Amino acid sequence: MARRYDTRTTIFSPEGRLYQVEYAMEAIGHAGTCLGILASDGIVLAAERRNTNKLLDEVFFSEKIYQLNADMVCSVAGITSDANVLTNELRLISQRYLLQYGESIPCEQLVSWLCDVKQAYTQYGGKRPFGVSLLYAGWDHQYGFQLYQSDPSGNYGGWKATCIGNNSAAAVSMLKQEYKEGETKIDDALALAIRVMSKTMDATKLTPDKLELATLTRHDNKTYIKVLPVAQVKALIADHEKKEAAEAAKSKPSPAYTPKGVEYPTYTESPGSKPAVYPSAAYSEAPASESEYPYNNIPEKNGVSKGISFNSDFPKFDDFVQHVENIKFDQFKI
Amino acid sequence: MYANPNSIINPSLWPNGPAPGCFFNFPGANVTSTSSSSGIITRTQSPVTTGTSILGLVFDGGVMLAGDMLGSYGSMAKFRSIERTIKVNNSTVLGATGDIADFQHLKAIIEQKVIDEDCADDGFTLKPKALHTWLTRVLYNRRSKFDPLWNTFLVAGIEDGEPYLGCVDKIGTAFSDSKIATGYGAHIALPLMREGLEKKPQMTQEEARALLINCLRVLFYRDCRALNKHQIATITKEGVTIENNIELDTNWEVANFVIGYE
Repeated sequence: MARRYDTRTTIFSPEGRLYQVEYAMEAIGHAGTCLGILASDGIVLAAERRNTNKLLDEVFFSEKIYQLNADMVCSVAGITSDANVLTNELRLISQRYLLQYGESIPCEQLVSWLCDVKQAYTQYGGKRPFGVSLLYAGWDHQYGFQLYQSDPSGNYGGWKATCIGNNSAAAVSMLKQEYKEGETKIDDALALAIRVMSKTMDATKLTPDKLELATLTRHDNKTYIKVLPVAQVKALIADHEKKEAAEAAKSKPSPAYTPKGVEYPTYTESPGSKPAVYPSAAYSEAPASESEYPYNNIPEKNGVSKGISFNSDFPKFDDFVQHVENIKFDQFKI
Repeated sequence: MYANPNSIINPSLWPNGPAPGCFFNFPGANVTSTSSSSGIITRTQSPVTTGTSILGLVFDGGVMLAGDMLGSYGSMAKFRSIERTIKVNNSTVLGATGDIADFQHLKAIIEQKVIDEDCADDGFTLKPKALHTWLTRVLYNRRSKFDPLWNTFLVAGIEDGEPYLGCVDKIGTAFSDSKIATGYGAHIALPLMREGLEKKPQMTQEEARALLINCLRVLFYRDCRALNKHQIATITKEGVTIENNIELDTNWEVANFVIGYE
């Protein structure tokens, strides 16, 4: 039934639907996830990077996050080439406004203008719609920090937290439960973003090359847009994993949070028990001489680094968990 | 910016196609052609009905604009109640020297801009610097097409709590300063304003008014295209007040000292 009415954008179907627009949104549903969270002192944008091929030359600093003008940044989900056309146009619109009025374009006016363009492509000309949804994060002096989302139909809305792309519905429902309006600062928003992304992304494990994070903040009457460097993303992911492991240790997590029905391992062993890969060399051999500090020359065994404290009989559980990436535990694989 | 298919920001999407946010003009619906194809020759004009100087002065807490109310038809004092200083919104005032018709054309466009802003209802209002920048772009683009708007504009207002005074002329030269005068005022009144500001950089409103009235009087004595009927516009944080029909006392006994006037 749908087939006769979906070839041209400029016609309705008998049920009153615009199939091309819906198909465009379907295309976006297969693209990499992007989410945005509004905090009281800034905005966080997180995006899943799909092109992690090692052969790719590092031409672009960011695959999905684009700065539009001094006070706005956007992230895209959908057909990349369409997204390039739209972000270029957004930048041109901002600069034309800046040239005409000498000040930055208000956020909503920029979003609204582009959405008028997107809408025109659903009504005239016989051209297909743009297969891109965008998340816009910006600041202006009237409304402060704002987060907008637009889709191929040309519709847009202002959000406190939202998600587009793959698994976006799951992410939005998770944000609905966890987002605390008025109590979220940038650090909370970053932690929440990582938490949500780790659940919705295809990858089994979050790594810095698969995740892009950007923040928009204001200091001294100036907007600062920062795409977080790899080291910082790595640190945030590590924090997240630490917290998650600590949570899992406390109690069995609720079924809603287990992805794809996999059970989280429970730490039924006491923290002090020695796992198989723990280096025994330090304890089985006597120190070389009394004067020499016995623990300086402990060889690295099975990837456990020397950072572990040997001051007590057994290492502390936290030290252990910090280096969980280096230890291969089959039971921890998710 | 909203719903205006002819503005610079809204080019049409494809040939004869829609301007976004507006209705599609189907080809053949309107047979009116655009000015570019009508064969009108445009070149530098000469002004017809003109206004003389406008003076602008920044004082402590605001800006003041002053100018007379004359539209001269060459050397004839034809229109003697022309308001050459207009209120744009609660924080901006615009004054114009030069061709009155060109000023009225831009006045209508600016008033429409204010209405469009009101309709958008998004809390954003036109600020003095934004108006100044926009005027600069318009005037420069017109000059570049050899079809200038034959005016010099003074934009005055409060920008982010601070007083702002800017000037643009018909070729698009733009600058801002604490004291500006256009036309003959630049030669006659500006030195008086500079002297006054040097003595007291942060004047009170009354002192600024006294200084401007003195300048207006001197201009009436010396400028042949001036009238003794003035407008004074004051912009402060509280808002805009424009006083019309101010007439000054003059003493023409000085004429006796001019040699050759017996």
